[in-house]
Amino acid sequence: MSILAVTRREWTGRRNVLLLAAGLSVISILSMYFEADPKVAHEKATFMGIFAGTALAWVVALLYGATMVSRDLEERRFGFFLNQPLHAAQIFLGKVLAGLGLALLAGLLAGLPSVLLSGLWRQVALKDLGAIVGVGLAGCLVLLLLFHAVSIQVRSRSLWLLLDLVVWTAFFAGVRWLSLRLMGAWAFQDMVHLWLGLLAGGTLGLGIAGYLQVAEGRADLQRGHRWVSITLALTAGLLLLAGWVDTAWVLKHRPPVAWTSQPGNRSR
Amino acid sequence: MTSQVETLPIACHQVGVRYGRTQALNQASFQVEPGQVYALLGRNGSGKTSLVRCLLGHQKPTAGRVELFGQEVWSARQTLMHRVGVVAEEPDAPPLMTTRQLVRFCGSLYPTWDQAGVDQRLGRFRIPMDLPFGRLSRGQKGQVSLALALGPKPALLVLDDPTLGLDAVARREVYDELLGELGERGTTVLITTHDLAGIEGLADRIGILHQGRLLVDASLEDLKARHRKVSWAPTQAVDPTDLAPFAPLWSRTGSLGGEAILTQGDPSQVPGLQVHPLSLEELFVALVGEAEVAS
Repeated sequence: MSILAVTRREWTGRRNVLLLAAGLSVISILSMYFEADPKVAHEKATFMGIFAGTALAWVVALLYGATMVSRDLEERRFGFFLNQPLHAAQIFLGKVLAGLGLALLAGLLAGLPSVLLSGLWRQVALKDLGAIVGVGLAGCLVLLLLFHAVSIQVRSRSLWLLLDLVVWTAFFAGVRWLSLRLMGAWAFQDMVHLWLGLLAGGTLGLGIAGYLQVAEGRADLQRGHRWVSITLALTAGLLLLAGWVDTAWVLKHRPPVAWTSQPGNRSR
Repeated sequence: MTSQVETLPIACHQVGVRYGRTQALNQASFQVEPGQVYALLGRNGSGKTSLVRCLLGHQKPTAGRVELFGQEVWSARQTLMHRVGVVAEEPDAPPLMTTRQLVRFCGSLYPTWDQAGVDQRLGRFRIPMDLPFGRLSRGQKGQVSLALALGPKPALLVLDDPTLGLDAVARREVYDELLGELGERGTTVLITTHDLAGIEGLADRIGILHQGRLLVDASLEDLKARHRKVSWAPTQAVDPTDLAPFAPLWSRTGSLGGEAILTQGDPSQVPGLQVHPLSLEELFVALVGEAEVAS
């Protein structure tokens, strides 16, 4: 109940997002009437709807994540939550839920009407529709948590930002190195699995970092930043280690690529 | 001993707060008894806000221990906040929420919420219920914060400079509300304020923080009994050195005569000296001034 109370509170004053979504929806629907060929018009409206809905949902999640705690902290208003009998998890989950709900609602409002009106959705399997919404929602979660962490790192203006920069750089350099090794062995599917695993692990790490920022940092932005930095550094280290073990295992158990020379390919 | 400590609304043990190289609070120890009104005074930057943040579990002290009702605040914040009402120095409620929405939000979090009491208070303060909090005047924001803080019928009320920026009428209303609450339920109150005249009739005990140290922790009655204010006319031949036996805390002489605050003995027998009642403000200025000279 307390989580939902926080969620409801977060929605207050954010109705403008839904108005924007409704406006985008109208534009997507109108695009149908500017096309002479009905089939193309319907395809165009469907595409516009899916694109507008997904893009808006992701932008809302990104902006919400960047302000959900750090702005309250910077404006010294986070104490309002801490003065209530709310656990840190209730505050954090309530805010995350509000962001996801707002992004999902905005995305559906912007995209669904034109998709439904075009009628093309009847030709798409329910499984695929679920996958589209699932990917959209997963993207929202990743962006929300990522930008929450980044906004804490940037707004606290502490020296821990140096560690963050080193960690982010090392992490992406590590992922690139592992990806190149898998690509060298033509293990493209394993590479995609590696990326998905890192994304899932990274999202979990971002979620834990976000929770610890609220639970341990509380009204102290710099202390919260410290917890975010340490958690993300540990997460990045563990993920790279796991990725390295996985890559080594794949390379060891994969048959070597047979490079056969073709007479026509030989360079003179 | 143990049971008494457990029921103490506030107990601070050697609390320290450090920001980098700056020691904001240094080994502050004090207790507040049930039903007491404890006024925490100090100049800007004396460490009051840091102490209040530690008391409310917003900040972890770098040293020492802060307990409310026998429980360590940092680890038991959520449970303790059921029994604590807070009015922050800067009204911190979300600016886009209306008073009605704020009351609904807070009411849903406390099983002891007194909806009728909150409605009555807001009615007395003449607060527009459907105006966003951010658009209320400074005084109205303070009044809404006080009404929300008293809503769950708290056992402890923490007021961080609740009269800051309020006009005389709004200040009076805040104190009247507090007096009503104290008379009705005997709530324990910790209040930080710069309004020394306003708090004088309300406080039982005074703590004075200066440069992070708790300079004074005593009952107002004791403080006033220990200190006496005297003055003398310019025509009187009183030399400040004559006051040495009375251990003057502070003294000054000028063309209009002189005055001093004495810390021991009975100066009424000294010819030419007039003894006056001492206000909290005079005492505060003398104590803090003395500490500044000493440091």
